[in-house]
Amino acid sequence: MKVHRLLAATVLVGGLAAAPASAQDITLEFTVWNYSLDTIQDNAKKFEAENPGIKVKITDYTWPDYHDAMVLRFRGGTPTDVAYVGQDWLPAWAAAGFLAPLDDVAPADVLSALKADMAPFALSDETYDGKIYGLPYYADTISFLYNKKILESAGIAVPQTWDDVMAAALKLKEGGMEHPIDYEFNQELPNFWDAFVAQAYGRGGDLFDADKKAIFDNPDNPAYKQLEWLAEAFKKDLVQQDTHESKIIPSMNTGKHAFTVVYNYVLAAMNNAAEQPMAGDFALALMPGAAHQTLGFTKFYAITASAAADPARAAAAWKFVNFMAGKPYTVAQRWAEEKGLGFGQVPLFNDPAVVASWNKWIDMTTLKEQVATARGGTWTEWTSVWSAYFRPLLAKAMVGEATVDETMKAGAAKWNEYREKMMKK
Amino acid sequence: MQKRNPFLTAIGALLILLFTGGPILLAFAGSVIPDRVMFSPDRGLFDEVTLENYRFIFTGELPPAYLQSGANRTMISDAARQAPLSLWNSAQIAFASLVLNLILGAPAAFIYARYAFPGKKLTFMFLILSPLVPAVALITPIYMMIQAAGLVGSKFAIIFIHAARALPFTVLILSIFFRKMPGELFEAATVDGCTRFQTFFRIAVPMALPALAATGLFAFMLSYAEFMFAMVLSGDSSTRPMSVVMAALARNPDVSWSLLNTAIFVAILPTLVLVALIWRFVIADLVRGAVKA
Amino acid sequence: MWTIGRFPALWVLPVILPVAVLTIYPIGYALWTSLHQVMLLFPGEDWVGLDNYKAVVTGEYFGAALKNSLVFTLFSAPLVVLIGTATAMFLYRDFFGVTALRSIILLPWVLPGAISAVLWTWVFHPSWGVINSTLFKLGLIDHSIPWLSDPTLAFVSITVAHVWTQVPFTVVLVMAALSAINPETIEAAVVDGARPFQRFALVIFPQIKAIIVLLLVYNALIAFTSYDLVYAMTGGGPGTATTLLSFQIWKESFSMYDFGAGSAVAFIVVAISAVLIVAITWAIPSDIFGEDEPADAKA
Repeated sequence: MKVHRLLAATVLVGGLAAAPASAQDITLEFTVWNYSLDTIQDNAKKFEAENPGIKVKITDYTWPDYHDAMVLRFRGGTPTDVAYVGQDWLPAWAAAGFLAPLDDVAPADVLSALKADMAPFALSDETYDGKIYGLPYYADTISFLYNKKILESAGIAVPQTWDDVMAAALKLKEGGMEHPIDYEFNQELPNFWDAFVAQAYGRGGDLFDADKKAIFDNPDNPAYKQLEWLAEAFKKDLVQQDTHESKIIPSMNTGKHAFTVVYNYVLAAMNNAAEQPMAGDFALALMPGAAHQTLGFTKFYAITASAAADPARAAAAWKFVNFMAGKPYTVAQRWAEEKGLGFGQVPLFNDPAVVASWNKWIDMTTLKEQVATARGGTWTEWTSVWSAYFRPLLAKAMVGEATVDETMKAGAAKWNEYREKMMKK
Repeated sequence: MQKRNPFLTAIGALLILLFTGGPILLAFAGSVIPDRVMFSPDRGLFDEVTLENYRFIFTGELPPAYLQSGANRTMISDAARQAPLSLWNSAQIAFASLVLNLILGAPAAFIYARYAFPGKKLTFMFLILSPLVPAVALITPIYMMIQAAGLVGSKFAIIFIHAARALPFTVLILSIFFRKMPGELFEAATVDGCTRFQTFFRIAVPMALPALAATGLFAFMLSYAEFMFAMVLSGDSSTRPMSVVMAALARNPDVSWSLLNTAIFVAILPTLVLVALIWRFVIADLVRGAVKA
Repeated sequence: MWTIGRFPALWVLPVILPVAVLTIYPIGYALWTSLHQVMLLFPGEDWVGLDNYKAVVTGEYFGAALKNSLVFTLFSAPLVVLIGTATAMFLYRDFFGVTALRSIILLPWVLPGAISAVLWTWVFHPSWGVINSTLFKLGLIDHSIPWLSDPTLAFVSITVAHVWTQVPFTVVLVMAALSAINPETIEAAVVDGARPFQRFALVIFPQIKAIIVLLLVYNALIAFTSYDLVYAMTGGGPGTATTLLSFQIWKESFSMYDFGAGSAVAFIVVAISAVLIVAITWAIPSDIFGEDEPADAKA
C-alpha cells in the first residue's frame, strides 16, 4: 500500500531524526495512559538500572484521550518507540503501518515460550494477520459484580441467568431500592460496547460468524436478546446511569445499588478498605447466562514500525518490552499484587503473593473459573470505527428511543458494509 | 449613593454567593470529608473532618486509613501529587499569555480604534473572523506544525497558541474601549507634540486600566482553563499544566472523590487570590466614580 | 478619526502575524482535507469535492447534534449575558461585603471544563448529588430526580453548568464598561428625575451596548463550539440528547478515522457560526466593529 509505505517512511524519518548521535545511549519514547503513572515510572527506572545505555522517556495521556493523542502522534510523525496498545485498535493501526510484529524483533523461541504462557484471549487479542504484535501489560475480564450484603439481607441467591438478575432487581426495587443496577452508560467510551458484548457472551454464542459477518440482527442471537433485556431493565427504571467507572465506585458504596458490570480492578477499588465505606461487601459472580462466558481483553506493549526499522532501537525496544512483560513476569506480578490489575500470563494465577493479595478483594476461585471461559472479541480493522458509529445507536435502544430490531439491523448493515469495503481493498 | 433596600440587597448577594461560590464550597467540603464518611448513609457528614488529603498532596504522607493492616497501600494515586507543580506551570503559561496579549494587543487595538489606514478593514476583518473555525478541527495541522518546529512538549508552543487564540478578542474588546475615549484629550496631546506612541502610552492606557485588566484576565483564564492543546502538546509531568493533570485525576479509579476535590481546591485557590487582587486593585477606586478626566 | 498614510506595521503586525501563523495554514489544510477523502483505513487522498459535506449532512447524528447545539446556544448565550449584566450592575454598587463578592464572582472562571463538570456532576448526580440529597433530607421528594439521565433535565443541567462557567467574564467586562461611563452623565439623569429603570435603558445601556453585543456574540460562539464540559458531564447522552455538533468534529476524525468528514463538519460549524454572528450584530445595532466615527472625531 502506498500510504503504508509513505507513512512508514515518514515515521522512519521522524524516528531517525530523533535518534541520538551516540549508538550507546538510546532513549526510548514510551507512550502510556496514565493509570498509576508512578508505578510505570518506577518500573522504567528498574529497567534503566539493569540496562545502562538505554533510557526510557515516558509520555502519558489520560485514558479517554490516549487513542486520539496516539493517532495524532502517528500522523504527525512524533517519534514513538514503545506504546500501550489496546486490542480494539490493533488491526487498524497494524494495517495502517504504525506497528511492527514482534516476530521482526524478537527471537522466535523466546516468543513461543511466552505465547505458551498466555491466556487464549490474550493471545488472540495481540495477533493480527497471523503475527503477534505485543506482550500483555494487563488483561482482564468484564465482570458481573454484586453487593453481597444486600443480596443476603434480601434473601436473594446469586443470579445465574439474566432472568434471575431481572427478578432480583425487581424484588429489590419493591423493597425500596430505586435503581438496583448501576450501569456505566457513556456512548463515547469503547467500554460501552465491550460491556455489552460481555453480557451477550454470558448467554453463549457469538455476534459474528466465522467469516466475520454480523449476525446479531437475528432475534435468536444472544446479543439481540441481551439488548432486549437491557431495554426492558431501563424501561422498568431499574438502572442508574453513571458516565464513568470512577463514579460507579462511590455510587455502589452508597449502598443504593446491587449490581454492576465493570472490570475487575474496579472491584479492587470498590473494596478498598482505606477509602470506601462499604469495602468488602462487593463480590464477583460468573457472568449470568447459560454459558457463563464473558469478554476477556488485553492491553499490551507494542513496538512501532519506526523503532523496528532501526536495528539498534529495535533491540532496545524489545529488551524493554521483554522486561515489562516477559519472564519472569515480575512487572506483571507487581501490577497484579499492588493494584489488582489482571494479567494475561497464566502462571501468575499460582503466584502465592498474588493469590494472597487478591483474595482480600475478590474470590480467586470464581475468577479463575471466569478467566478459563473468557473469550476474546472480534477485532477487525473496522471494529473501532464501527463501534464509534454503533454505540450511540445502542444507547438509544437501551433508553427506548429506538427499537431493538431497527438498532440491530442498522448495526449489522453498517458492519457488513465496512467489511465489504475492507475486503475489496 | 441612593438608598437601596438592604433586604433585597442581601438576598441578591446571597444568591450570587450561592450560585458562584456554591460548587467551590462543595469542593472544599469534599476535600476535608473522606469518602468513607461522605458516601455512607449511616454516618453524619461532619463526623470526621480531616486534612489528610492535603497532607498527601503536599508531602506524600499517606492518609492514616491506608496504614491500617488489610488496606492496600498503593491504591492511592500518586498523580494527585502533581497538582501543585502543575499549578505553577499553568500559572507561568497563563501569565505569559496575559502579558503577550496586552503588549501586542493593546497598541493594535488603539490603532484600529482611532486611526484609518490602508488595509485597516481587511486586517481587522481577518482578525475578527479567525476564531470562527473550531480549534478542534485545526488540531491536526497545528500539531504537525509544532512537531515540525520540534517544539512538542515545550511550554513555548502552548504559550504561543494560547496567546494567539486570545488576541482577536483582546483586540476587539480593547478597540471598543479605546474608541469611546473623548477625542479632545488626544488632540491636546498632539498639539503638545506627543508622538502616536506617547499618546497611546501616556493617555490612552491609564484611562483604559479596567478594560486592560479585564482583557488581561480574559487572556489569563482562557489559557489557564484550556485543555485540548495543552493535552496534545504537553510532554512529561514536569511541564504539564493543571488542566491536563486535573482531567487525568477526574478519570482514574485510584483517586478517591475526596482526593479529587482536594486537588481541585488546591488548583484554584492560589490563582483565584492572584486574580482577585489584580481585579480589586484596578476596579476599586474607579467604581467610586473617581475617574480623572 | 485620524488617517495614516501607510500601513502601521509596527502597531499591527505583532498581532496579525501570530494569528495568521495559527490560522492560515491550518484552516487551509482543514479545508483541503474536507474536500478529499482522508481516512486512516483507506489509502490515497482522492478529491471528492463536496461528498464529505453531503455525507455529513445526511448522516445519522447531524440533525440531532445541530438541533442540540442551536438550542444550547440560544439558551446559554442570552442567559449568560442577562445574568452577567444584572450581576455586574449589582456589584457596581457599594454595600457591605461587595469587595469580597467581586472576588468570589471570579471563581468559576478559573476551572477547566472537565473540572467544572466534576463539581456540577456532584450537584446533579441522581444518587449522591447535592440537590437530590438535600431534597430527600427535606422530605420534598421520595424518588431521585434523574438530572443527568432524562433528556430534558440533562440539557438543563449542562446549560446551568455552562452558564456558571461563563458568567464571570461577562461580569468583569460589563463592570469595566460601566466604569468607562462618564459619571456626570448618570448624575445628570438622576437630577432629571429619571427612575432606575429609565436610567438603565436610556443612559447606561446605550453606553455599554457594544460590549453587550460583543458578549452575546462571544458567548454564542463559545456555546456553539463547546464540548469539554458537556462531554465530561453526560458523554453526549442520554442517547443523543446532549450530543453537540462540535463533538462530531472530533468523533468523525479520531473515532471514525475520517478526517475528511470531520473537517467538513468543522466548516459547516463555521458557516452557521458566521450566520449567528451576523444575526446578532444586525439585530442589535451597536458600534462593535467601529463603523461609526467616534463621537468627537476630527479628520
